[in-house]
Amino acid sequence: METVERKPKSTPILHYIFGAPPAPGEDVVERYSRPVRILHWVNAVAWIVLFITGLIFFVPQFGGGAVGGWSGLFHRIAAVVMVGWAALYFVTSPRSALSGVREAFKWGRDDIGWMQAAPSYYMLGGEDTMPPQGHMNTGQKLWWLTVLGAGSLMILTGALMWFFKNIISSGAFMWSAFFHDVGFIALLTFALVHVYLSVFHPRMRGIFWSMWGGEISTKYAESHHKKWYDEVSKGEGS
Amino acid sequence: MAEKAILYDATKCTACRGCQVACKQWNDLPGELTTNRGTYENPPDLSANTWLKMRFTEIGDTPDNFRWLFARRACMHCTDAACVEVCPTNALYHHELGFVAYKRELCSGCGYCVEACPFDVPRSGGGGGGAVHGVRTMSKCIFCEDRITNGEEPACVKTCPTGALTYGDRSDLLAEGQARVASLKSTYPNAYLYGEKELNGLHVLYVLDDTPDVYGLPVNPQIPVAATVWQDVLQPIGWGLAGLAALGLGLNYVVARRKIKINSEEE
Repeated sequence: METVERKPKSTPILHYIFGAPPAPGEDVVERYSRPVRILHWVNAVAWIVLFITGLIFFVPQFGGGAVGGWSGLFHRIAAVVMVGWAALYFVTSPRSALSGVREAFKWGRDDIGWMQAAPSYYMLGGEDTMPPQGHMNTGQKLWWLTVLGAGSLMILTGALMWFFKNIISSGAFMWSAFFHDVGFIALLTFALVHVYLSVFHPRMRGIFWSMWGGEISTKYAESHHKKWYDEVSKGEGS
Repeated sequence: MAEKAILYDATKCTACRGCQVACKQWNDLPGELTTNRGTYENPPDLSANTWLKMRFTEIGDTPDNFRWLFARRACMHCTDAACVEVCPTNALYHHELGFVAYKRELCSGCGYCVEACPFDVPRSGGGGGGAVHGVRTMSKCIFCEDRITNGEEPACVKTCPTGALTYGDRSDLLAEGQARVASLKSTYPNAYLYGEKELNGLHVLYVLDDTPDVYGLPVNPQIPVAATVWQDVLQPIGWGLAGLAALGLGLNYVVARRKIKINSEEE
């Protein structure tokens, strides 16, 4: 009887911005474990700090923000937090970390199918040609690969310019700055896509909350990640 | 306004180093404690507190072929200046009188100019550095901007007792330097006017009685390729890509919001 009266802890303004989470009582499956979610949000906050303190360096008109060196200090703190937390995650959950990394490199026939079907699927709403997808679809794997690849590039070139400034040649320093910028452009461009798709795109509206509460509706899992859903539901024996 | 320049005639220089002292005096730069390294050349290198120094070069090992060469070492005030190219905050800029000026209050201490300069001139370490963040701003010769914009010569030129340093309109000094090199050619066939064409023209010109490399000057100084590709190619590409992405996503939103809503309502 009480369950009839129960209302969702509703935060309409947030639902307006991020879409609605699975309705109360709706069947859900766990998509992201708590450590993964914390890793994501620590990373996101550090990324935003790195992005802002990096961008004011990119744009001479914002250059005033870099004066005095404070932005550089925050840039380095955020870099340490980001790399440190990822390392911590790797040390405390090595198995899930490794399988998470491996996921970026699992490619097959359905990924080619995704690329062919994506324009219609994401633009016009065509569903028929989209092949079933695993835990990560092709687009998510591309983003994940970019994060791993460009992230490594940022760590490498950043460390060269920070710790090895006096050891490396001037040419190596200049090229480090160049490739730090390459990584910046790659991450910025793809991050725009990432935020748009996970918050605003009508097909994924509400999926933002999966990285908050960790769960998605079984309906969404089945329609967006059929191969993964089949595995999970088989494992549960339902 | 006519571009200004300094003409340094190495054949008239006695390496008295009066210019070094005058530079420190006028710009209020403290002296540095150094050790005797068996040479008159001192201090050993440019620093945040030494914007100008004389380089001593010894060539030959017999009394007959021995030569002792002096060369001025300070900012060359290039027309194509690598430091201005890479400075992310526009602290470094070209003054209307031609030389490379900078606003210390805009310097973030990133040190890109230190790495980019083909003459290895700018030095980090000015401004003391903050207690927490430790930022050290860049320092280099400022062409005595405060003096020349008030009708005075730069301090180094003012003090030079032999006339090795002169100051004036760049076009006049160029003609003067060319005439001097021409007259030197009979005795010194390799005589050369350095700074006439280098990096599209330096605002410090050198009359040399030999090739630049003998004096320790780069023969064909260039803005580093990485700096050019970074600033002139990569950064516009970056803006283009980010702009295209934003545009594409906006377009997607407009189209997909209608199409996909209709589809789900049909279900």
